[in-house]
Amino acid sequence: MESQTSKIISGIFISNILAVIIVGIAKFLTPQAGYSDVIIFSVFFIVPFLMGIFNGWQWHDMKMRAVKVIGWCIVSTLLSVVLSAIFLGEGTICLFIVSPVILAMMVAGTFIGREVYRRKNNTLKSSLLGVLALFFVADVVSEHESLEMVSDTLIINAPVEKVWPFVVEYEPITLKENYWLFQAGMPSPVQSTVDGHEAGAGRKCIFSNGYVFDEKMVVYKPNEELTFDIISQPRDPEIMGHIDITRGQFILKDNGDGTTTLIGNSWYKLYVFPSWYFNLWSESITRNVHLRVMDHIKILSEENV
Amino acid sequence: MFNLIIRYFGFLKHVPLVPHLYDALLKIQVFFTNRALLNYMDDVTEQVSEWQNITISTHKYGGTQFNLNDVELGHLHGNGLLDVLLNREVKTDLMRNHNILDHHTFKNSGWISFRIKRSDDRNIAIEILERAYMFRQKR
Repeated sequence: MESQTSKIISGIFISNILAVIIVGIAKFLTPQAGYSDVIIFSVFFIVPFLMGIFNGWQWHDMKMRAVKVIGWCIVSTLLSVVLSAIFLGEGTICLFIVSPVILAMMVAGTFIGREVYRRKNNTLKSSLLGVLALFFVADVVSEHESLEMVSDTLIINAPVEKVWPFVVEYEPITLKENYWLFQAGMPSPVQSTVDGHEAGAGRKCIFSNGYVFDEKMVVYKPNEELTFDIISQPRDPEIMGHIDITRGQFILKDNGDGTTTLIGNSWYKLYVFPSWYFNLWSESITRNVHLRVMDHIKILSEENV
Repeated sequence: MFNLIIRYFGFLKHVPLVPHLYDALLKIQVFFTNRALLNYMDDVTEQVSEWQNITISTHKYGGTQFNLNDVELGHLHGNGLLDVLLNREVKTDLMRNHNILDHHTFKNSGWISFRIKRSDDRNIAIEILERAYMFRQKR
């Protein structure tokens, strides 16, 4: 029993070290874009699946029950998360987001690997590994970019001329954080300042941990539209390390009854794949950044009516 | 939940690895919610695998597949749902005596579905597979 446990633990270490090497090579070979590190689909799907196949190969002749298989896969996933934080510099929240994917792929790979190696079918083994390797190489050399947009709307009980000044710049937000990721330590927007009131002037969006997004206002139409391009943004090991926020926009619409419809839009490039999964998170985060700022603008505008 | 996913996302079963990933998610869910069920499924698999000419493989749409001479008898999904192919006579007989349903996708076919939930259900699952085994051996 003791030798079986030590075999499992050593196997988990070997598969994790191999995974770190493969991910390092993939990161090195993947064409980078913008300011961010590109992390491809294969890193989250193929690599943990291969780790699972490796586990399956190691464990196929052990009479391990499913509970134990999944338990050891959880241990291996936790080790992967720790190694990713140490060697790849990934942030805690980013790793929290990807860990369910890593675990699911590893469990799938382990159960498949166990059956494949029990059947001693060499053709099946080599074709499975060959297809995965081919897919991995194709993924590494492909171009990766995903342009996304998030839009939010809020009704403010104040006329546009009262809302506009707070859209351009606003004093620090004192509202309590009500989004769980902000409560968990993800930076949230605090204040916006400008160095002029015209197109071409600079704008800064300051976040709770002191991060500053430098912006340039490209459309400045009082009481109608403010559009700004992000010219530099902080490099953060959390999610911002894999997103380039490219443009922000506020559109104001006079509803004709003393109220204003405020629309907040953001455009960003996502460099972490598969984008359908990670965009669920980045959309939620961007939406909560919008709403925190827009709720603050609403309070300030309505106080001044 | 399982039936809803099969109904609306069932087409994804043709995408390589997606059904296996889904089955892994089912197993992980069971691990956190009803760990004993994983042991019941293992018990069924271990017992059936001891029968003559039975092999175990991964089902193409996820789960553990039981084969007699390389022909599928049935498969067990990661949530304890057992699907077995029978003839109408055996199916009617089993449905009369046990809480066995038409297959969750192929209604009015020879396929049946039986959900393992409790410890006693292991014996029913084994009985169903045994009936399929006997029926297939006779053919």
